[in-house]
Amino acid sequence: MASPPTEYPRVGGAIPRFSWKTSLAVLVILSLTGWSIVGTNFDLVELLTSTRPVEKFVSGMFPPDLSAATLRTTFTGILETFQMSYLGALIGAIAAFPLAALGTMEAPTIGASRGERLLQAIPYHLARLVLNVFRSVPDILWALVFVVALGLGPFPGTLALAVHSAGILGKLYSETLEAVPARPVEALRATGAGSLQTFLFGRLPQAVSGFTSLTLYQWECNIRSATILGFVGAGGIGQQILVSMQLFDYSKVATLVGVTILVVLLVDRFSAAIRRRLVY
Amino acid sequence: MTSSPRNSKEKPLGKLALEGVTVRFGKTLALEEVSMKVEPKERLAVIGASGAGKSTLFRTLTRSVPLAEGRIAVGECDLYALSTKELKSVQRRVGTIYQAYNLVPQLPAGINAALGEVGGMGSLRTLSTFLVGPNDALAWRVAQALELVDLGDKAGARTADLSGGQQQRVAVARLLVQRPDLILADEPFAAVDPVTTERVMEALFELNDKGATLLVNLHDVRIARRFPRVVALREGRVVFDGPPERLTDEKLSRIYAGDPYGTGAGPDTQDDTRHPRREDPVRLMEGRDGISAH
Repeated sequence: MASPPTEYPRVGGAIPRFSWKTSLAVLVILSLTGWSIVGTNFDLVELLTSTRPVEKFVSGMFPPDLSAATLRTTFTGILETFQMSYLGALIGAIAAFPLAALGTMEAPTIGASRGERLLQAIPYHLARLVLNVFRSVPDILWALVFVVALGLGPFPGTLALAVHSAGILGKLYSETLEAVPARPVEALRATGAGSLQTFLFGRLPQAVSGFTSLTLYQWECNIRSATILGFVGAGGIGQQILVSMQLFDYSKVATLVGVTILVVLLVDRFSAAIRRRLVY
Repeated sequence: MTSSPRNSKEKPLGKLALEGVTVRFGKTLALEEVSMKVEPKERLAVIGASGAGKSTLFRTLTRSVPLAEGRIAVGECDLYALSTKELKSVQRRVGTIYQAYNLVPQLPAGINAALGEVGGMGSLRTLSTFLVGPNDALAWRVAQALELVDLGDKAGARTADLSGGQQQRVAVARLLVQRPDLILADEPFAAVDPVTTERVMEALFELNDKGATLLVNLHDVRIARRFPRVVALREGRVVFDGPPERLTDEKLSRIYAGDPYGTGAGPDTQDDTRHPRREDPVRLMEGRDGISAH
């Protein structure tokens, strides 16, 4: 066997060679990390040494409280959470649809006048603005707003989920509508179809299974969100968790949290199974 | 096929006249100073290597790409000066058929065929067609058209579940429903089998016989020879315009110079490795050509 040549170009590993750009990036990441650790009093040593409160909390959780009364409150709480998340996703989806339809950018007709372009751009930007406001305010803040306006209970919580879901779904719907294969849409436009027609027959049929998947995913997110909305008095199982925490009734907390985790996992599985079966 | 009078109010589109048409995509010159006239009811094949500007030429005729220079007259009117509403009424009478079918795959074949008429629908009729399907008159024409392309039993089938050849026949049915004055067929035979090719061509010729102007983009010169007039593009310019008999081998080799498929006879007749593809200065990007979709 011939011996390998003594000189050959080195290939090197997969990590990029030194460059000023990567060095700068590393430097930025390191300094941000240090700055944030200081700012948040981040201390792993404290977490590991102050075992006493953690021990008390964890041991208090066992055995979980499985008395009939606790199970009953858990059950009603989780049902309410489920209903809130479902209605929130449904109303959100219904509100999101027209906003998404308006907020979908259709390529302007070649050679269209400036007035026509403007007329096309106004509803688009309005719809996008509304969606942005809905989306950028977190659902827990919407819940606070609605609790102040409507009082305590699951209704303001449901509204909060609906508004936030509408914002998120509206944006995702319109992105789905914009991303559908363009050729069938273009073919329709080329034979004189207007914007309503290209939307209904060109974009919507191609986007609808994507909508279903996104809506189911939003419902999953809503279940998780709905469990904390109770912390601000907007109904659901969160309210029970907060009360039990404040009463140091950790064994009840264990039951409530355990059941919540179980239901969230179940809904995740269920929606994932449906989404897998969607035909595109 | 039904002979119900269509758009009796509208007069036919009239002749097409391109004058010095130039189209640019960024720095790429897709069409350069193209001038030609097409009389009503003409039957015309456009040939050229891929990237020669054939698809772009067709897209100018429905005002789907901006013109850098030049003018396109459809009958009496300047296509690029029409208002959006006037443009729509012209587009409604232009039927298109593509290599990639460009049907909406999720819709039933019958609805895709019915979409030939969508341009002429008002908002209310659009909605009712969307919700409950085409009205009786349109449904009957759709059934007739599908019957003519031998897909009478497929009206309710999901278009995506049909074979490529069947989808191209649905696209022909859409044309039959639309009954356009001008047909732009953009490489309609490039992705279908020989049998479908013959049937699609027959249907197109029949529409032409009934009065529609027919323009077909072709890669295959043998098919082009069945047209009375052939226009050849090379690098965005018209390099030949005349009857196919004048299309000599020498002219063909100039038209296809630099194209790996040589005289357009198809990839299987030549060894690609011996003819490495020359970088064509006007080769279009994916998505602008109508060819690279598959």
